[in-house]
Amino acid sequence: METKQPAEQERVPFYRMIMDDFMLLLFLGTTIYAIFYLLWGVMELSNLPAIPEEVKRAVLK
Amino acid sequence: MSNTIQETGDLQPAAVTAVAAPEQIFRTCDITGFKVDLRSEKLIRANAVAAVVSLLLAVTAALLLVFTRYQPVHLLNAEWYYRLVTFHGLNALIFWIIFFEVAGLYFGSTVILNTRFSSPKTGWVAFWLMIAGLVISNYYILIGKADVMLTSYTPLKAHPMYYLGVILFAVGAIIAVVLFFGNLMIARRERTYGDSLPLVAYGFMTAAIIALITLATGAIIYIPTFLWSLGLVENIDPAMYKLIWWGLGHSSQQINVAAMVSIWYMVSFLTVGGTSINEKVSRTAFVLYILFICLASAHHLLTDPGVSSAWKVWNTSYAMYLAVLASMIHAFAVPSSFESAQRRWGYNKGLFEWLSKAPWGNPAFSSIILAVIGFGFIGGTTGVIFGMEQTNIIVHNTIAIPGHFKGTVVIGTTLTFMGITYYLIPLIFRRKIVGMGWAKWQPWLFFIGIALLSISMIVLGQLGVPRRHWDSTFSGGPFTYNFNPAVDFFWTLMMLGGSIAFLSVCIWIGIVVTSVFFGPRVNGPEDMQLKISPLAPPAKSHKGFEAPGTLVLTFIFLLVFLALFFLNWKWLAATWYVK
Repeated sequence: METKQPAEQERVPFYRMIMDDFMLLLFLGTTIYAIFYLLWGVMELSNLPAIPEEVKRAVLK
Repeated sequence: MSNTIQETGDLQPAAVTAVAAPEQIFRTCDITGFKVDLRSEKLIRANAVAAVVSLLLAVTAALLLVFTRYQPVHLLNAEWYYRLVTFHGLNALIFWIIFFEVAGLYFGSTVILNTRFSSPKTGWVAFWLMIAGLVISNYYILIGKADVMLTSYTPLKAHPMYYLGVILFAVGAIIAVVLFFGNLMIARRERTYGDSLPLVAYGFMTAAIIALITLATGAIIYIPTFLWSLGLVENIDPAMYKLIWWGLGHSSQQINVAAMVSIWYMVSFLTVGGTSINEKVSRTAFVLYILFICLASAHHLLTDPGVSSAWKVWNTSYAMYLAVLASMIHAFAVPSSFESAQRRWGYNKGLFEWLSKAPWGNPAFSSIILAVIGFGFIGGTTGVIFGMEQTNIIVHNTIAIPGHFKGTVVIGTTLTFMGITYYLIPLIFRRKIVGMGWAKWQPWLFFIGIALLSISMIVLGQLGVPRRHWDSTFSGGPFTYNFNPAVDFFWTLMMLGGSIAFLSVCIWIGIVVTSVFFGPRVNGPEDMQLKISPLAPPAKSHKGFEAPGTLVLTFIFLLVFLALFFLNWKWLAATWYVK
C-alpha cells in the first residue's frame, strides 16, 4: 500500500473542493442557464396560444 | 533584482515537476522562467495572427459604416450598408474575439501552468476549421448571399454556406475549448501547479466554461437553421429562434468579460507585481459569472411579448444581480491589486500617489487602466440601466444599444487584448516592439476615439435614433420624424470618434505586424522593453484600508451610476406621461 505524502493527507476544505472542481462548475453553470433561460423561455413560448386563423389571414392579406 | 516571474511570482506553480523535455517540446523562457511548450506557442501565434486579421476586416467595415450613418457623407447604398453591418458584426464580435480568446486559453492552460499541450494536432484541426468558417462566411456575405446581419433573425434567410461557415467556426472553437480542459487535466495530473489553479488560469477556466455553454447554444440554433436554409426543415419559429440565438449572441460576450478580467489580473501582476488583495473573493466572483452571467441574454427579449415579465426580470437581473455583484468585486479587486502593490513599493503619499507614479509609459498598463474605466463608467453603467425592463424601453432598438456594447466589447475587451499583445510580442513571438513611442500613445487614442463614439451613440439613442438603419432621415419614406437638432452635433462627434479609433487600430496593427514579422529578435531579458515586475514586497504594517484610493474611486463610480440611473428614470417619466 502506498504511503500518502503529508500534503495529500491534509483535508481540503469543502468550499475549495467545489471551487476547484471545474467539471462540477461546468455542470452547475450549464444547468442553471438551461433551466432558467432556455427551458423556462421555451416553455413560455410553446404555451402561447396560436393566432386565430381569421386574424392571421387578415394580417397576411 | 530578479527579473523572472518564476523566481518571484504567484503565477509560479507551487510544485513544478521536473520533466525532462522529451523531443525538445519545451523551451524555458529566459525572461519569465516559464517552461513553454513549443507546439502550444505555435498555436498561440497562429490564433493571435488570425485574430488581428479579423480585427482589420472588422474595423475597415466599421469605418465605412460610420461614414454611411453620418448623413452629410452617407457613403454606402442600402444594400452594402446591411452587407457590411453583417460583415462587421461577425468579424468584430465573433472572429476577432474568439480567435484571441483561444490564443489566451492556450496561453493560460500551458504557459502559465507550465504544462504541455494535450493534443497539438487536434489544435491545428480546430484552427483550420475556424479559418474555414471565417473564409466561407465572409465570402458569402461579401457576394451578397447573406445580408441578414449578425443576428440572422428568421424568416430572413441566408445562403446555406453562410450558416455552414458559422457552424464550422463554432465546431473549431468548441474543440479548442475542450483542448483547454485537456491541458488543465494534464497540469492537475502532473501537479504542475499548487493546490488551486492560479487566479489568472482560474479566470480563463471561467471563460472556457461560459464558452462551452455559449457554443452549445449556438449549435442548438444554427444547425436547424442551416437545415431550414437547405429546405430540409419547413419552418423556424422566429420567437424561438430569437430566444435561443441570444443564448449564443449575448453569452459569447460574457466569454470576453471573463477573459478580459483575467488579463487585468495578469497585467497587474506583470507591471507592478500586484495580486488580488483577497483571492478567495476574486475566485468567488468568477464562480458567480459561471453560474449566472449567461442568463443576461434575456436583455434582448425585453420588448418581446411572448415571454413573461417574471422570466424577463429574473434573467435580466442575472439572478437578482449576482453576476453584477461579481463585476463589482472585480472592479474593486483589480485596481486595488495595483494600489496595494504600489503602496508596498513605497508609493504611499495621500490617496493617489500609487496612481500618479504608476507605469503609465507601459502601454499594457495604460490599456488596462483605460479599459477598466471605460468598461465600468460607460459599458457597465449603461448595461445595468438598459438591461432593466422599465428603462430599456427608452432605448430598445436604438443606436444606444451598440453604443453600450462599444463601451464593453470595444473599450473593455478589445483595448485589453490590445494591451496584453504588447507583452505577447516579446514573450511569445520573441520580437522587440517596433515603434514604442507610438505604442505609448495608441491606447489613449483608442480610448478617446471609442469613448467619443460610444457616448455619442448612447446620446443619439436616448434621442430616439434607431440602430441598424441605413437612413435615419427617412428620406422618401411614407413617414418622417424630426429629431432633436442636437443629434447633428452627436453624429459629428460619433464620426470623429470612429475616425480616431480607426486611426488608433491602424497604428496598433502596424506596430504588431511590423514587430512580429520584421522586428529585431529578443535574445534575453536585456531586450525586454516592458518591465516585468517582481512580486511586490509584503506590507510592513497594516493600518486601516489596504486600498483607500480605490475605495474613493469606487464611491465616485457609484455616484456616477446613481446619477445616470436617476436621469434615465426621469427621462422615462418625461417620455411617457402617466396620469
